[in-house]
Amino acid sequence: MSKERKLRVPLFPLKSIQSNISLAFSLLILAAIVLTSLVSYQVSVNAVQSNSKGYIEEIIKQVNMNIQSYVDNMENISLLAMTNKDVKYYISDNSFISSEDRRTYEKRISDLFQSILYTRTDIASIMVFGYNGRFVSDRRITSLNPNARLQEQVWYKTAKAAGGKSVISAPHVQNIIRNEYRWVVSLSRELKSTDGITAEGVFLVDLNLSVINDICSNINLGKKGYLFIVDGAGNIVYHPQQQLIDSKLRTELISEVIQASSGSSFVANDADGKRIYSVQDTNFGWKIAGVAYSDDLIASTSDLRNSIVLYSLCGLMISLLISVWLSHRLTKPIKELQSDMKQVEKGNFDIQTEIGQMNEIGQLGRSFNMMVSRTKFLMEEMIHNQESKRKSELLLLQSQINPHFLYNTLDSIVWMAEQKQHEEVVLMTSALAKLFRASITKDQELVPIRVEIEHINNYLLIQKMRYNDELDYALDIDEAILPYKTLKILLQPFVENAIYHGIRNRYGIEDGLITIRGRLNNDQIVFEVEDNGFGMTPEQLNRLRQSHEGDKGIGIRNVNERIKLYFGHEYGIQIRSEIEVGTCVTITIPKLE
Amino acid sequence: MRKQRWTIALFLILFTVALYSSLYYKMIFGAAHHDRHVTVILKSLNVRQDFWQAVNKGAEAAAKEMGAELTVAGPLQEGDVNDQIRILEQEIDRKPDAIVVAPLIDDRMPGILAKVRSAGIRLVVIDTPPDMKPAPVVVSNDHVEAGRLAGETSLTETNNRPIIAIISDAPESQISQQRLEGLKQSLAGNKESANEIYYAGNSEDKAYAIAKRLLIQDKPFNTFITLNESATLGVAKLLEEQQKADVIHLIGFDSSVDEIQLLESGTLNAAIVQKPFNMGYLGVKTALRLIDRKKVAPATYIESNVITKLNMYTPENQKLLFPFINNK
Repeated sequence: MSKERKLRVPLFPLKSIQSNISLAFSLLILAAIVLTSLVSYQVSVNAVQSNSKGYIEEIIKQVNMNIQSYVDNMENISLLAMTNKDVKYYISDNSFISSEDRRTYEKRISDLFQSILYTRTDIASIMVFGYNGRFVSDRRITSLNPNARLQEQVWYKTAKAAGGKSVISAPHVQNIIRNEYRWVVSLSRELKSTDGITAEGVFLVDLNLSVINDICSNINLGKKGYLFIVDGAGNIVYHPQQQLIDSKLRTELISEVIQASSGSSFVANDADGKRIYSVQDTNFGWKIAGVAYSDDLIASTSDLRNSIVLYSLCGLMISLLISVWLSHRLTKPIKELQSDMKQVEKGNFDIQTEIGQMNEIGQLGRSFNMMVSRTKFLMEEMIHNQESKRKSELLLLQSQINPHFLYNTLDSIVWMAEQKQHEEVVLMTSALAKLFRASITKDQELVPIRVEIEHINNYLLIQKMRYNDELDYALDIDEAILPYKTLKILLQPFVENAIYHGIRNRYGIEDGLITIRGRLNNDQIVFEVEDNGFGMTPEQLNRLRQSHEGDKGIGIRNVNERIKLYFGHEYGIQIRSEIEVGTCVTITIPKLE
Repeated sequence: MRKQRWTIALFLILFTVALYSSLYYKMIFGAAHHDRHVTVILKSLNVRQDFWQAVNKGAEAAAKEMGAELTVAGPLQEGDVNDQIRILEQEIDRKPDAIVVAPLIDDRMPGILAKVRSAGIRLVVIDTPPDMKPAPVVVSNDHVEAGRLAGETSLTETNNRPIIAIISDAPESQISQQRLEGLKQSLAGNKESANEIYYAGNSEDKAYAIAKRLLIQDKPFNTFITLNESATLGVAKLLEEQQKADVIHLIGFDSSVDEIQLLESGTLNAAIVQKPFNMGYLGVKTALRLIDRKKVAPATYIESNVITKLNMYTPENQKLLFPFINNK
């Protein structure tokens, strides 16, 4: 709890306006940031996905154009061969060419093919097969594979069946030339004679499959995405995992791709994961499909996501700090006011709270200040009134002479007069007169010790006479203290107590002795009033010390209060007492000129 | 009081973290695998070794499909055990998530493979399973099944009356042993088929000589089954020389350009061809399953295909016989 009372305002107190404000701020900021980051992530993901969809379509178009250009090129080569007179002559079924001439024709055609081949690295071979059994290729010497029958070759058969139109084969290993096994795509076309009706041979151009392979395998559609090509019959032209499909380790949605129209796309979601197929038709019957995995696309947004999360976390941290700081700042004047109020609670009315801006809290502070100063004024006034009241009461008290004392004394005087003890009557009456005079001088609170001693001497004299000399007293006063000032009627109450409660309570008043001492002790003057009376038990003594009321204690308490009031708290009285031995009261006052 | 204050602060932070982590989880769900790294160590990395190059391609296909990082290593010379062990130790130090290895036969190999395991790296053995306990996860060509296919082919070729001479490389060759076992299983019903086994090492000439001796002895053979390429080529050479290709059947294993030509000419009646691409693919895929702590069969066997003159140019067999599309 002591920590709470400290003036230092804690940064993050619980159950305070500050924590409420900062909590509200934080929750608001949190909600706002979370919402913003979620929305922006979603928006970005959508953007990325539609972008990549467009991008995939664009890539497939490019691939399509590339492959198309290769096919167009083969087509052009075939047109070139078709229109070439030498080729026509060579394969035409006529007897114009002698066996010697044949060689030159072969050489001319071969040179033509070779020159085409030099400019095109994508072409594997160019060949012409005449139905007359003649054939010529881009090589000087062409030796055919004896085990591969021409008529059984797919490209040969389909070209024949197509009747003059060019035919593109599926990729295959071309084994028609001896010792050569190359993966190619073949374009074959039946050649007609000059009349355009009679078929005279088949022309073949082989495109290196590596060309298509390179195009397709270099396409990256995300980390896992790929591209594949099927022909119209559903045979795979290119697929990166063709072997797995052949071994049934993998399936591909070939029939769906064949059914899909050009430029369309569809989504597949099966054991292989969610992926998007984009399909494009080529001019020659193939279909190119791009496959992109949607988690790949999302993975490509991982940077985006990371940065969104990072930035929003940073923003959150900063705004949380700001909210704590802001609420701290807002509630700081309240807390200062609060701590000032606590000071007032503890009794410090001197505090005035600082007033910053004249806002609600400033006004509150001003009201508080006014209230505190008003309270302080009222309290001081009250203390002052009390004090003066007390003083007047004391003055009243001290002016009072115990009426019993007066009656008793007068009785004694009467009694002495009857006994005709004139001298004693005179002595006692004069002493009484002096006593009264001393108590009537109201103006002066302080009197010289000499006067006070005289006063107590008179009093004791009267008492001694009243008790027929059974009471004795001794005055042992240092001469040096006599000029100093003391409170009026300081010692009388103690002497009174010594007689009435001390000595008289004994078995009688005989041999009762009251000793009054006065001496200088450094800067203090010390009086002692000692009797040999009945004394007090420790319990009685305690009661006397603590009691505020009661006839026994009232005189002593008054004197004590008067001393403290006039001279300060370090001065006062002390009582020592022992049962059946006596009581000694020590009175300490300052040395006052 | 002070403790509670921190509790609120802590609650706020925890709440934020929880919110974001759930958000993050939702965002990355499905794309969680990207750190897996698999190393494949082959028997040879020589570009002229079609078989191992096909394994390599299969491994690459699997890595791409599953989104894993792949490193392929191996000695340049097939059979260089020291180099393979050196590469293995080097890869253990690099600590990939899994190692897929086609171990060469050596006494030190089980020890090295045990070291792979104790380094906390998942181990998949392809091609030839080593003799070690506990047995590693194996992805291998099913040589027993290949032998059985060869036996069954000989039955169909000879109308169930095969009389067979078997030429193998060496009695201790594991692969040949397994092929032999499969052969015997498929021919168990035919008591007539004299299954005699001859060993020619890796020498074409030796196989040629053995076949020549057998023909001179005029034993009633109608079928040669040759368990390795050199034996196939040696026997084929003799059959072509003596023009007995039509009379005596020849069944071989594996494929090379020479064997393809023998198939085309009909000297080689059938070849039992493995699928190395599948081995590489399944090897890496199995390794990735191990990394993901999914269930994995202790042994995965890859079947072989019987290639004959008739089916050798079907699309899928073309791809098997000519796995590479390049400009030779």
